[in-house]
Amino acid sequence: MLEIKTLSKHFGGVRAVDELDFTVRQGEIFGLIGPNGSGKSTTVNLVTGIFPPTAGEIIFDGRDITTAQPHVTLDAGIARTFQNIRLFNNMTVWENLWVAQNSAEDKKATNLLSRWMGGSRKAKSQVEEYLEFSALADKRDELAGNLAFGEQRRLEVARALAAKPKMVLLDEPAAGMNREEVRALDERLRALKARGITVLLVEHVMELVMEVTDRIAVLNFGQKIAEGTPSEIQNNQAVKDAYLGTSGD
Amino acid sequence: MIDFIQNTLDGITIGAGYALLAIGFTLIFGVLRRLNLAYGPSIMIGVFLGTFIYLHFDAGWLPVAIATVIGAILAGIYVERMCFWAIKEGAALASMVSTFAIWMQLEELVTVIFPERTYKFPTLGEMDYLEFAGLEMRAEHLIMLGIAVLMVGLLHVLLYRTRFGLSVRAVSENPAAARFMGINTGRVIFRAFILASAIGGVAGFLLVATDPTVTPKFGLQATFKGLIAMMLGGMGSIPGAIAGGVLLGIVERHMQAEFGAIMRDMAAYALLFLFLIFRPGGIMAQGVAAREAAALRRV
Repeated sequence: MLEIKTLSKHFGGVRAVDELDFTVRQGEIFGLIGPNGSGKSTTVNLVTGIFPPTAGEIIFDGRDITTAQPHVTLDAGIARTFQNIRLFNNMTVWENLWVAQNSAEDKKATNLLSRWMGGSRKAKSQVEEYLEFSALADKRDELAGNLAFGEQRRLEVARALAAKPKMVLLDEPAAGMNREEVRALDERLRALKARGITVLLVEHVMELVMEVTDRIAVLNFGQKIAEGTPSEIQNNQAVKDAYLGTSGD
Repeated sequence: MIDFIQNTLDGITIGAGYALLAIGFTLIFGVLRRLNLAYGPSIMIGVFLGTFIYLHFDAGWLPVAIATVIGAILAGIYVERMCFWAIKEGAALASMVSTFAIWMQLEELVTVIFPERTYKFPTLGEMDYLEFAGLEMRAEHLIMLGIAVLMVGLLHVLLYRTRFGLSVRAVSENPAAARFMGINTGRVIFRAFILASAIGGVAGFLLVATDPTVTPKFGLQATFKGLIAMMLGGMGSIPGAIAGGVLLGIVERHMQAEFGAIMRDMAAYALLFLFLIFRPGGIMAQGVAAREAAALRRV
């Protein structure tokens, strides 16, 4: 589904990502973990086209998106959330989803009127469904900026879904969440998988990663130091040395 | 007392024109977070195209109005390509300075093609004064007010009921998130520019038609009135732009009636100065600046 081939990104002399290789298979939940500054976010930013890589290739669904702009990567089927939440704070919850829903509809709308006005009944009922999915139905008319932190994180995931992606990249969706919220997130991730959506999960909360992912890649200093199932990763000595042993999770 | 009400009424009508200019500024500032000082001069290009049509083809006010809007749009596209599209994100200061350069260029261009100091512009026709309870109002002022209200209504529908409006609001709110929601921000900015220029063209036509002389200084006038009205209202807020425009119109009118025409512009700058010191968020204090401050507080 997503193939990362000898991907590198250098910022000046810093090798933020250094000849990275991994492949996310269709329909799986793939975890990307590593200490702070190990290149996880840079990888996500490269995949979604924030900046072009120094070298290497990114193939998604058979399509070369190495140098694609953000709106093109979304077009290809990749939606994402952000480590620091980026909602449309002065729009309502419903409008936040509506923006994403519309960008997905836009490609299909053929006549000018529906292109401009948008809003078929079907499209609106789908937005309702994402509201339900993220347990935000009773907050639909609330401004996104007024939501509690956990709700904002949920809304961001819902918004990514509303863009009808084949794959979602979640950048630390559990950061700042309590145990209860993490459990709900766990269930939601499984529900995504059940819908056939591939998930790339960047996360520090190990109980979530070890519980929910099918496979994991571990980064350190921009390089991959291990890849495997959660149990393989937990027993990997290099990973323990670099990350798990020291982080206290 | 009756004079006071009369002046206020006149101020509101002129202010409606200023409000349209401020809305144009606000739209551009909203999607770009950069100032377009060449906004007024690009409207001036439209006004001169209107004058040209009027003088050479003896056209009525409607063709002249259309020519004015088209001229403003074409000049607006030129400004967008030169100052914003070509100069990439993160170079806000370079963009602003380049709009100043384009401003001078447009003004020079017009002085070369139209060497006389003033040109005539069509009025909306010879109209009577309307009288009501001792107050009088020029019919074309009433038309100007009506068109301004209509434009604001249309703009509201466009921004809140259409996909294009949704994408403009999304880009104004959070350009990065908008990009990741599949919105082609470059295209939205381009179209917002066309919209702002069209609104400016209408405002330019109305302002000049009620005071029918055209000079190259119209660009400067339009930029300053629009910019001041936007700052008074609160940057980035359309209701603020309307309130700021109307306030500016009223204050100017009263100052002109009390102290004469020279004091009018002085008062406008003084008013801006007072607002910047005592209420930097503007009347609405709900614009981008205030929002960003609020966001910072949350963090």
